[in-house]
Amino acid sequence: MIALLALPLTLLSLQQQAGASIAQRLAGRVSPELASLVVELGTAASARGLPIDPLIEKAIEGSAKGVPAERVATAVRLVAMQLDTAAAALREGGAVPDTLEIAAGGFAITAGLSGSDITALARTGAKAPALTVGLRVAGTLAALGVPPAEDIGLVSVTLRSGEPSADLLLLPAHVQSEVAKGVTPAQAAAGLARAAAAQARHGPPPGRGQGHPHPPAPPHP
Amino acid sequence: MSGHEFHPLVKQLLDGDITLADLPPELRGEGEAALRLLAAVDRTDISMPAVTWRVMTTLERRRRRFLPWLLAPALAIAAALVILLRPTPPAPTAALVTVRFVLVAPDAKQVSLAGTFNQWDAQVTPLVRTGATGVWTATLTLPAGQHQYAFVVDGVRWVPDPGAPAVDDGFGRRNSVLTL
Amino acid sequence: MRSGPQAADGEIVRAVLAGDRERYARLVERYRDRYARYAARMLGSADAAEDALQDAFVRAFDQLAQCKDPDNFIGWFFLILRNRCFAERRRNRTSASLDAANDVAAEDRTDGGAESAERRRALQLALMELTPDQREVFVLKHVEGLSYNEIAERLSTSVPSLKMRMHRAYDKLREQLRDHT
Repeated sequence: MIALLALPLTLLSLQQQAGASIAQRLAGRVSPELASLVVELGTAASARGLPIDPLIEKAIEGSAKGVPAERVATAVRLVAMQLDTAAAALREGGAVPDTLEIAAGGFAITAGLSGSDITALARTGAKAPALTVGLRVAGTLAALGVPPAEDIGLVSVTLRSGEPSADLLLLPAHVQSEVAKGVTPAQAAAGLARAAAAQARHGPPPGRGQGHPHPPAPPHP
Repeated sequence: MSGHEFHPLVKQLLDGDITLADLPPELRGEGEAALRLLAAVDRTDISMPAVTWRVMTTLERRRRRFLPWLLAPALAIAAALVILLRPTPPAPTAALVTVRFVLVAPDAKQVSLAGTFNQWDAQVTPLVRTGATGVWTATLTLPAGQHQYAFVVDGVRWVPDPGAPAVDDGFGRRNSVLTL
Repeated sequence: MRSGPQAADGEIVRAVLAGDRERYARLVERYRDRYARYAARMLGSADAAEDALQDAFVRAFDQLAQCKDPDNFIGWFFLILRNRCFAERRRNRTSASLDAANDVAAEDRTDGGAESAERRRALQLALMELTPDQREVFVLKHVEGLSYNEIAERLSTSVPSLKMRMHRAYDKLREQLRDHT
């Protein structure tokens, strides 16, 4: 009973801290009503061990885009749900995720991957920061149109081979350049996975470290 | 009166129809005991912020057909007890990456960049038009990590980067993704 | 959440029925705490109350087209919540009592100290021994502060029958609390 009485007070002070810092970051960027909703959601999320940056960023984004507050609120709630899904999926895969990993998992879900996909990545046994980067890259590959099976296959084999994060981060660019040659994203990812499994390596693209040229946009028709 | 029942007048006192002063002297003691009982009523307000989120996600879930096990209500409550054991992430790396953003928009009068790295503010990161061919560029130095962004054309049109991976922004549009 | 006066309940209900689902969150936000206390006192547990509120709001959304008077969403919603609270299956006596005790103890923050916390706990336990009807009239009058007339209107019953329920509740509470002290 004493422990039960002590715990809520501790939660209260941590929650108060979380609430104040959230409010500060939203001030002047979202309407007061939306801000108080995000403080509520963020405080509750923080108490569950979830990152709050994704919630704050989504609220600011929606307000900047002129979206009606109700819709922004729904989007923020969806982000919270995706973070919960990611956290559960990571734990299911044996990870003890930190907030960066959960945020990365949440992004992967936004990009279209499922809880099972995230669990599969966690099961590779990779730890932070490699797992965090792996999740971000998996989401990015999904955003490029790589189907989940090929996506998780490529990232898993790369994580298992103990590649440094720099090589993981190159995967989306490799897929893009293969796609530019005419193959589908699925084929590109599968090809890369085979190459990684055979321990072939691509050299780093020119300019890495001095600057990272973003692929230029193709001319508009 | 002895027994387990309150005197009818004391019940009227409890109902608020009469006051303690209205009771005959022999009932004052019972009346005071009755009021002490009422004073023990817990009237503290209860706030349940999680209910809104839980309701809306339940409604959303039925639309999107997520796996049910991922939304067990017990998760929210069990996780609250884990707060003191939550691992903190390692200090963020200081790595910075220089990135060049390009948009071909010959008809635009003004193009800017808005994203997670500048609070989605369409005013603070303008692109520069190079020559007459309608190629707009900006070069930024960004921290390693995950970023989302879009171009803002003429202050009103939000356009994702055609050359970049894209995700649903939750508002009916797409954001571009930059993973550094 | 536009600037200016808040939308009336009726307007929000009509908007939701017309397809703007997201605005339902406004109604949830507006009323969820108002009945959180009622549900917690009725069910003896904040956790059970949260579940009941969630279920009731979801059910109200599903049945929104049957809300005959959208401007009185709150009265209609209360009945749905009430049904949900009454339908709650009583878990075995021991666990229900423990929940009630823990909740009251956890909520005790500043007033009175250990002795009044103990009395609050004892009263909440005693309330759980009443029938749901008796507990409800007690909670609505002495926790929520409604008058007999207001309760009668809400429950579509008469003041005399409410008083009869309440007076039996008083006697049962007295009996319960004498046994405890």
